[in-house]
Amino acid sequence: MAYSNEFLKGLYKDLLMMRLTEKRLYELYAEGRIPGHIHSGMGQEASFTGILNTRKKGDYFKQTHRPASTCLLVGTPLEVFFGEILAKKSGNSGGRGGILHVGRLQEGMLGFSGVLGCDEAVPVGAALTIQMEGRDNIAYAFSGDGASNRGPVAEAMELAAAWQLPVLFCCENNGFAISTPFESVYRTKNSLADRAAGYGMPSEVADGTDVLDVYEKASKMVEYVRSGKGPAVIECRDYRWRGHFEGDQCAYRDAKVTEEHIKNGDSVKNFEKKLLADGVLTEEEADKMKADYSEKLEAVIKEAEAQPEMTSDEVLDGLYA
Amino acid sequence: MKVTYGKAITAALQEEMRRDDKVMIWGEDVAQFGNIFGLTRGLLEEFGPKRVRNTPIVETAIIGSAIGAAETGLRPVVELMYSDFTMPAFTEIFHCVSKWRYMHGPEYKLPLVIRNASGSSNGAGAEHSNTVEALFMHAPGLTIITPSTAYDAKGLLKSAIRSDNPVLFCEPKLLYQSKQEVDEDTFNSDYTIPIGLADVKREGTDVTLIAVGLMVPRALEAAERLAQEGISVEVIDPRTLAPLDTETICNSIKKTHLLAIVEESNKTNGIGAEFAARFQKEMYDELDGPIERIAAIDVPMPYNMAMEKYVIPDVDNICETIRGMI
Repeated sequence: MAYSNEFLKGLYKDLLMMRLTEKRLYELYAEGRIPGHIHSGMGQEASFTGILNTRKKGDYFKQTHRPASTCLLVGTPLEVFFGEILAKKSGNSGGRGGILHVGRLQEGMLGFSGVLGCDEAVPVGAALTIQMEGRDNIAYAFSGDGASNRGPVAEAMELAAAWQLPVLFCCENNGFAISTPFESVYRTKNSLADRAAGYGMPSEVADGTDVLDVYEKASKMVEYVRSGKGPAVIECRDYRWRGHFEGDQCAYRDAKVTEEHIKNGDSVKNFEKKLLADGVLTEEEADKMKADYSEKLEAVIKEAEAQPEMTSDEVLDGLYA
Repeated sequence: MKVTYGKAITAALQEEMRRDDKVMIWGEDVAQFGNIFGLTRGLLEEFGPKRVRNTPIVETAIIGSAIGAAETGLRPVVELMYSDFTMPAFTEIFHCVSKWRYMHGPEYKLPLVIRNASGSSNGAGAEHSNTVEALFMHAPGLTIITPSTAYDAKGLLKSAIRSDNPVLFCEPKLLYQSKQEVDEDTFNSDYTIPIGLADVKREGTDVTLIAVGLMVPRALEAAERLAQEGISVEVIDPRTLAPLDTETICNSIKKTHLLAIVEESNKTNGIGAEFAARFQKEMYDELDGPIERIAAIDVPMPYNMAMEKYVIPDVDNICETIRGMI
């Protein structure tokens, strides 16, 4: 497919934004500046960037627990993002939900359950709203290879299929459910993609380290779903660079294999090389984009850290509408 | 006119669907079949297959889809058939429905109702006879309603559908066929009953008796019998269990100085356990004796009907406990 330089640069910008944000998140966590846990999405940027660049205004999104920066792709302001993660009043829930619940409904983020998979039918319900209103929007339902084994994911797919709802089930297969390798529990080549046929859904499998491959395969499925034919599945195979959580020593996997993936499967570097070779991007432009975003990131983090936190007298606020 | 509790539910659904086209119904066997108790009969014909939908047997997805639909503009009234079937979707209700707005922020309103037919029903056995209010009272953010009369059921279901908070609406299935004399014009009017408002079903001066759901008619019968013995019982139906109308209950305790709670659920960690703990503290200076709990025996509900009857509180059990308090 032929793409405009502007589009390709946009993809690169999204990849960079995710990479730099994910990196900054685990650094801040190591410095003790973020409470709770961080599930780093380093190495998985292309799967999300590729899929979510097929979106249009009015679509809905249900993210997964990693990468947290997914919501930035759909337009959640950085100030809200860091407000929530740093547990400040400026976060979308005032810092009471935390890193798993970042995002705003006005950008189409539907929310997320920390009990992975339990929220899989939430985008199915949003797709029902779309169907009732007769819009050509769709709902993106992300899950990983781990959560995809859960019953609620099967039930969500069943309901979406029964009602022929505009849902794109997006499985991001990073090879590990915490410590359990994908190959050790699946008897199929792919995760959700190989289950799609059981619900009468078409599917595509993409190389999750190649943003253009993801975009092209996702586009096919999005076109199908958007045209009202019913739900579909896109699965992206990538690799989880870091542990399930920060501090995870990853003793359950071969560090050399991880190094190989990081060396060869770096979606940001590979795409940058391609754009440089194709003359779409210059090194100066790339460096400037990185520097500009990093600078913005630091300014937002600094400002977010200075924001007030909710106090105990506000603990019941918003429990009921 | 006389109206059954079941017909009151149907009327509420019908009126709200006529009033607001965002109100939709989905669940297992709610369309052609008209729900397993016949309560949604006629709704498919009137409102069509887009607004009245059968689902496959997917409890978790019924609840999950209700969340997604509610936050994006619909007002789902979903069904889980028996209250026991809230359990396959326990996580979705406990973690997601009740916490969603708090975890994600005030934008995330969930105007949804989860209807379920609750409690015993003549030999339905251990897995089809449970009442679940006490389980979900442990989930802050959820509104829990259990009406005991046709009039209350209609007015409260309408309020539940209009509420921007998620509501677990429990319907004691043994009450579906119970009839209540109501003023026809009032019943057919667009009345609602406020959520969070208890109702004094019978005034009395000696003992305050809080009764929930199926236990309300039994408490009233017990009060009638005890009146003949010279014991005056005030029967309060909380109607909404969360958030609870403590004011009405406290005012009654100030008058009677004695409190008993009767419920259909198991005694351990039941509704009565929570209420007893709460009011012994709040009303310590007013109470003249220990708070009594009248509840089901802590066993799985036996299938044998004589045993089932023995397990759930009846009028005799209520009278006996209250006599002991005087």
